[in-house]
Amino acid sequence: MIDLSILLQIVWTGLAASSYAILFAVAFALVVKVVKVWNFAQAGVMALSFYVMYAAHNKFAIPLLASVGIGLAATISANIFMDRYGLQTLRNRNSPSLTFFIFTLVVSEFLAYLLAMIFGTEPVALKPSIMSGVNIVYGVVISNWDIEAVCVTIGLLLVLYLFMYKTRDGQFMAAVADNPELSRFYGINVTRAYVITFVIAGVLVTAGMYLFGTKASIIPNTPLQMMLFAVIATLLGGMGRIFAAALAAITLSLIQGLSIFVIPSEWQGLILYVFLFITILFFPQGVSLQKFKQLMAPLTINKPLHKKGI
Amino acid sequence: MEYFISLAVLLGIYITLSSSFNLIIGYGGLVSIAHPIFFALGAYTTGLMAIHFQTNPALAVLAGGGVAFVSSAMLSLPSLRISGDYLLITSIGFQLGLLEVIKHVSFTGGASGLGNIPNVVEGSSRSAVFAIISCLIAAVVVWMIRWLLRGPYGRVIAAMRDDELAFSALGRNAMMIKLTLFAIGSGFAGIAGGIYAYYFQYISPDQFEILQSAMLLTMVVVGGMGSQWGPVVGAVLLLLLPQAIGFLNLPSSVMAPLQGVIFTTLVLAFLFWRPQGLIGSNQRQSEGGA
Amino acid sequence: MKPSNRRRMLALSALIMSAVFANVATAQSKETLKFGLAMPLSGSQALYGADQVKAAQWAVADINAKGGVNGKQLEMIVVDTQADPQLGINAVKRLTSVDNVPVLITAWSSVVKAVAPIANRDKVLELSVGANSPDIAKLGDYVYTTFPLAEVDVSALSKHTYTTLGKKTAAVLYINNDSGVEGAAIYKGVFEKAGGKVVAYEAYDSKATEFTGALLKVKASNPDIIHIQGLVADLPQVIAQMRQLGLQQRVSTYSAGYNPKVIEQLGAAAEGLIVTSLAPGVSDNPNVEPFINRWKESEKRVPNGLPYTQYLYDGPYLVAELYKWIEKNKLPATGENLRKALITVKNFELPLTGGLSVGEDHRVNKPVYLLTVDKGQFVPLATIK
Repeated sequence: MIDLSILLQIVWTGLAASSYAILFAVAFALVVKVVKVWNFAQAGVMALSFYVMYAAHNKFAIPLLASVGIGLAATISANIFMDRYGLQTLRNRNSPSLTFFIFTLVVSEFLAYLLAMIFGTEPVALKPSIMSGVNIVYGVVISNWDIEAVCVTIGLLLVLYLFMYKTRDGQFMAAVADNPELSRFYGINVTRAYVITFVIAGVLVTAGMYLFGTKASIIPNTPLQMMLFAVIATLLGGMGRIFAAALAAITLSLIQGLSIFVIPSEWQGLILYVFLFITILFFPQGVSLQKFKQLMAPLTINKPLHKKGI
Repeated sequence: MEYFISLAVLLGIYITLSSSFNLIIGYGGLVSIAHPIFFALGAYTTGLMAIHFQTNPALAVLAGGGVAFVSSAMLSLPSLRISGDYLLITSIGFQLGLLEVIKHVSFTGGASGLGNIPNVVEGSSRSAVFAIISCLIAAVVVWMIRWLLRGPYGRVIAAMRDDELAFSALGRNAMMIKLTLFAIGSGFAGIAGGIYAYYFQYISPDQFEILQSAMLLTMVVVGGMGSQWGPVVGAVLLLLLPQAIGFLNLPSSVMAPLQGVIFTTLVLAFLFWRPQGLIGSNQRQSEGGA
Repeated sequence: MKPSNRRRMLALSALIMSAVFANVATAQSKETLKFGLAMPLSGSQALYGADQVKAAQWAVADINAKGGVNGKQLEMIVVDTQADPQLGINAVKRLTSVDNVPVLITAWSSVVKAVAPIANRDKVLELSVGANSPDIAKLGDYVYTTFPLAEVDVSALSKHTYTTLGKKTAAVLYINNDSGVEGAAIYKGVFEKAGGKVVAYEAYDSKATEFTGALLKVKASNPDIIHIQGLVADLPQVIAQMRQLGLQQRVSTYSAGYNPKVIEQLGAAAEGLIVTSLAPGVSDNPNVEPFINRWKESEKRVPNGLPYTQYLYDGPYLVAELYKWIEKNKLPATGENLRKALITVKNFELPLTGGLSVGEDHRVNKPVYLLTVDKGQFVPLATIK
């Protein structure tokens, strides 16, 4: 009953539009994996990234690509600064997870307020016009923005994959993710691993904000609202599996888009929360085939349930 | 004068909220930030009962507390299986998810809020009456929490908080205690919600968002988590500070974000230089830091 | 008492008395006619709020320059609501209990609703200028609107679309918040009553940036015209994605779309867009053009939300009229009396928005001006009385 071209259209546009969400989810998941922190400060850094690019391009008339470069530099610096002076201090004190949460959330709020003070709260986009050229391929509308978004995302994910699996630094990061103490014991520079993680996160975030900012307009608070999606994707993917998080992000996006055929449009916003609950309750380690089978078997739960932190 | 009296109403409400929140995360050790949703449940229950059934105000407020008390199980039961960061995320999801439902359902007024809650105190001394009731309730709540923590249960709770593994090994049932603390704390929040609904006669979902969670969290952290007077001090400070800034009469486009900047800087400063809060608690030294 | 002492006493009391009288006299000449203005000066709505406040400030200055009301100056006290209900309540409380104003002007539906209890309890006249939620008519004795509520312009547009523009089927897209839901329902009701058919009725989340699903459903229903009940922030994105997905139908929206920014962001995709305005345009009222020129001179741009600024400019004039009635009838300046003035005088002639007739049902009726985008500019399309 569903027209094929409509299905294809929703799939394509949904995929393209989920590009920035994927980048944000992977950035978030990477930090969770290596640094072991649920980095809600990412929202504030996302806002910072956008506004630096916006200011450079719109207030100082710097060409777009260069503005993105400046934004990138600002984002990475902010990340590293936050890790070095913020997270490290808390790590040294063995602070409980609540403290980390408060810190990262407050950093995001601080940045949001600061940006509101400087730039006001009028919705702004990176470019004055949000329309982009359109091409029609086999009845499916493909806009130039779509193409750019998909290419950028695939490109970055590919580079990330190669980095994580083919370079020494990438492997060190995986080791640190597994066991920081042991890694240090073996001479791996844990701090360097953290720094590289935040650099990569900075790149993903800046790319994501560039894509988002050329499609829609934002206010300083917008990134905080986008964090929920990144969190759920990370959870679904499972701790320590960033490409699973990317897959989860794509799946969530598609489900949200396709749900319009099944549920009334007003309730679409609730889907994310439903997923969050199901994930936490039944798949706290992330979705995997093994876990699914486990759940389907008679419910004899004899797992160690008390975990302090992660 | 009227201005200060209405401030007193808010003060009473927020002291109730922060103290009950502290009971849950400071003493119960449950990392949930969903406290505002129980505040909301109480407010909506009371408001709806007042509008549709013209219930006796005291009854309506208690009903609000009751609904919050019972519905806390929706969050606390799953929380027994998960802990730490997972519980945190779950509580955020619970709060925001329930708010989404409230926004989409018509009998709660939806996203535009529930208005026309009937006025139950007529006359010029209305604010004073509310201020007295609100502060009285705050006092009762603080006192009850003190009583709870001082009595025989107090030692049990402290033991559970300090070392849960040993606690369970000794055969003690941490689960029931956690559930109870969660329910009590949420119930108090519901009562605060009832007062709130009657005073303002208008409630809307955006008043119970993550910003509210952050505010409560700040009050507890700045005041001193795990101490009995800490949250009270935190509530007083964090309510009066924005008012004070407001009177500076700065250009308004800068004023609101500036308040936010000062606010958040304050929290960050506390997190780093005085993690135990204004009223430091020595009981948590074993865990180190805040 | 010794005679010299008595004389001293008399002299002293004379001195005191004269001082008192002098104070009273100066106090009287300094006496101002106060009213409050609660607007978003910060926050996401600030760009509209700030312009509306400016318009009101100009009006107060203009009125006072011409001698005020019977020689007394109007004094407007401005507070920030950030268009947030809670902050609105705080701000209005300051107005009523610290500044003791008997009448205040406010806007943004959620704030109007949130502060209504205060107005009703403290007997302060609340004038809602610009908010359009239909609920406003039922907020209590002391809440009146000078701006037509949603049913006026959306109904007029809907009916006109069917009867005059001849569109038999319509699709309705709306944002999932109170103004969207209410406005969409009104549009649908009127359209179907006039004889038309609403073939698609889809909501989108207020935080959404991607509307493909809803838009494809609309596309599949093949309507003659598409009506969007959204906000100025999401409207351009919806239309942009709509055009990119190949929906070429004409689009209509309500007054939120009457904003040059929309044309700027959409470029050619905005052509044909129909919007409503509840304030007279340049060709309908001779005062409008000088008003716009005044903006261009002092701010080097046109105001954000021109119709709303027109209403806010007229706000102080309305308040001045109420005070005039009070002065004429020698009544104290209380909220109760100002309200009496409003319902007794009932009909007012205001500079930038023309005639105002305050109904007993707390509603006002105004002509609806339809405009459309033609070659990148808004041009008048029709006027519906």
